[in-house]
Amino acid sequence: MYRIEEHPILSAFPKGKLVKFAYDGKTLEGYEGEPIAMALKANGVMVHRYTSRHSQPRGVFCAIGRCTDCVMIVDGMLNVRTCIIPLQEGMKVQTQDGLEKKEQDD
Amino acid sequence: MMMERFEVIVIGAGPAGLAAAIEAASNGMQVVVFDENSRPGGQLFKQIHKFFGSKEHHAKIRGFKIGEKFLQEAETLGVKVVLNASVIGIFQNREVSVMLGDRISHYRANAIVIATGASEKMIPFAGWTLPGVIGAGAAQTMMNIHGIRPGNRVLMVGSGNVGLVVGFQLIQAGCKLEAVIDAAPRIGGYGVHAAKIARLGVPFYLSHTIIGARGAEFVERATIAEVDQNWQQVPGTEKDLELDTICLAVGLTPMSQLARIAGCQVADLPQKGGMVPVCNAFGETSIPGIYATGDVAGIEEASSAMIQGKIAGAAISLAQGYLSAEDFQLRYASYDHSLGQLREGTFGHENKGRTDLKTTDDGYPLSQFLFRKGYLADGELSHYPGVPTSERLNQELMPVIECIQNIPCNPCQDACPQGCIVIGSTITNLPAINQSAKCSGCGMCVVSCSGQAIFLVDVNYAPGYAAISLPYEFKPLPAVGTSGVALDRSGAILGEAEVISVRKTAVMDETAILTMKVPVQWAMSARFFKQL
Amino acid sequence: MKKPMERTFHTSEFKAQADDSLIICRCEEITKGEIRRALYDGMSTINEIKRFLRVGMGLCQGQTCNRLVKGIIAGELGIAWQDLEVSKPRSPVRPIAMKIYANDGLVK
Repeated sequence: MYRIEEHPILSAFPKGKLVKFAYDGKTLEGYEGEPIAMALKANGVMVHRYTSRHSQPRGVFCAIGRCTDCVMIVDGMLNVRTCIIPLQEGMKVQTQDGLEKKEQDD
Repeated sequence: MMMERFEVIVIGAGPAGLAAAIEAASNGMQVVVFDENSRPGGQLFKQIHKFFGSKEHHAKIRGFKIGEKFLQEAETLGVKVVLNASVIGIFQNREVSVMLGDRISHYRANAIVIATGASEKMIPFAGWTLPGVIGAGAAQTMMNIHGIRPGNRVLMVGSGNVGLVVGFQLIQAGCKLEAVIDAAPRIGGYGVHAAKIARLGVPFYLSHTIIGARGAEFVERATIAEVDQNWQQVPGTEKDLELDTICLAVGLTPMSQLARIAGCQVADLPQKGGMVPVCNAFGETSIPGIYATGDVAGIEEASSAMIQGKIAGAAISLAQGYLSAEDFQLRYASYDHSLGQLREGTFGHENKGRTDLKTTDDGYPLSQFLFRKGYLADGELSHYPGVPTSERLNQELMPVIECIQNIPCNPCQDACPQGCIVIGSTITNLPAINQSAKCSGCGMCVVSCSGQAIFLVDVNYAPGYAAISLPYEFKPLPAVGTSGVALDRSGAILGEAEVISVRKTAVMDETAILTMKVPVQWAMSARFFKQL
Repeated sequence: MKKPMERTFHTSEFKAQADDSLIICRCEEITKGEIRRALYDGMSTINEIKRFLRVGMGLCQGQTCNRLVKGIIAGELGIAWQDLEVSKPRSPVRPIAMKIYANDGLVK
């Protein structure tokens, strides 16, 4: 719903192959090499994490790896800046809750 | 201590940094550019609009194409561009520390160019941390680099050029731009950028600020309200908007931390956007051998950044013995003149922050309506030299140039094979119709105007009907014969219209010329076609 | 602050304002009220406030909030924000994992 199918100026967006990845236990599809956050956004995901102090939802804000609002747990690693780290097949992406995993789905 | 040495280290591979690197390398210097991002080009690759200026400023070329050209030049000249390389400090004797991969490396340079650009200013409001609130740069990154729509219903906060240009790009990407708001009583960016949006029906709420965003887990609604001259909320003016994205475009501020760490003298200057290293005319800071160029030295446009970079590159080449004094003088004079041109006009350096301008440099009235509403009022047009007289309009097909502020820009003049458009050597002059030239209707002016402010009007198309040709940069491109409605400059529906011609060739670079048939009485008001 | 601060400021009463719950430092979730209150809790300089509250010390290193914090402090003190002393940026200007910082080409 959020992928631009036909852009009036840009002929094509460089894309790798379509791959499957895990998001909070669900299987989603995205393009290999695009930022994880973009694959999530294409699937309608808005919330990336909840903050430590006040448990507030955060998502993409700067989109260039500067503000760290988009960080999630990726393949077990905390604080991964999803707006700049490229998606790979089979990645396990989880909503980060402060410094803890939000869903326990090991 | 063994440390790899470069002749020139450039920090930042945006337009200023690349320009400095190319200039220095073209004189034979050994240059490395470190950039913390995974792609070079800084903001350039996000810019899908045609640039302003003149040919030497890359006018009418889309930003990302200029970026591609720069990268090719840099490669040809042997400039080493290292990506994912964060410069974390500048130390004594021009030592630079770089985080690259999983280690820190140190380098020495004969000259350093700090071209780290700018970051976005912020305005906090209730709910601003909710997912769905993004910077304008983020919207561009998502749309123009990754092909992702940031949302469906967007509010743009800020009416400077960034807000206006990104607002238009949001519409091109298929979003609905609900409104553009600004706390100031006037639109901050170019009139032509505002007009492109206004004719699509996007409302401008000036003297309005955002009170708050609401939503359970992400933005679902926002409240805006009017403010008075003291920036206090006017009670009873709250408006509730249903939307999913709020885009902040409230200004840029230089990222000058490295210059400060290096010990450069800095000054906090509002007209430059914040704290900038103090530089001489060649971009050299208070520390010999350290230069600062581009937005980090003062917020301007990409076109200015490119020239500033060239000046710094030339100055370094001179200082290091790669350019003779005579050659440097010639180059500097040319670059300085080019840069000076970009700094003139209604939005030029001397006029920054001024809200009292009433006329253009060449003596025409500056439309105050345009500043407040984002489009020209019907009755104002006849004042301007780019609008033909009614006599001429009644006789033949004519271009109508609705460009009425002094912007340094002239591709329209060069575009017309018949010489119909005249600007002259002062490129901020308003474009004027040449009374002795005859329009062939080719539409190249329509396509070459980066502000999309030129239309072809033929009041004699058919009995009772006029044909209006306009620039069209949206998908889907309507086919010939499509019925729809004509909109006026404010985006209000005038009535039925039909597409009678669509022209799009490679040389037009994605700007199609759409010609619609409308009742003749709308010839000077119909300015957009909307398919139903 | 460049101008020496009146000690009496510390003993005057903190008055709550409607927008005190507004988040200013997004990384550390520090609110406007907490920043304002710090001035009444014995903080005298931007550096002190930074160390006490951690504004500007989170992952973005103040890139988002620095100007906002200066404006709030200046507003509370009733001075021009140009009169506030600036907090000096220090290397590294980007957050860096300790193991990378220690993996220094110069240190063998």
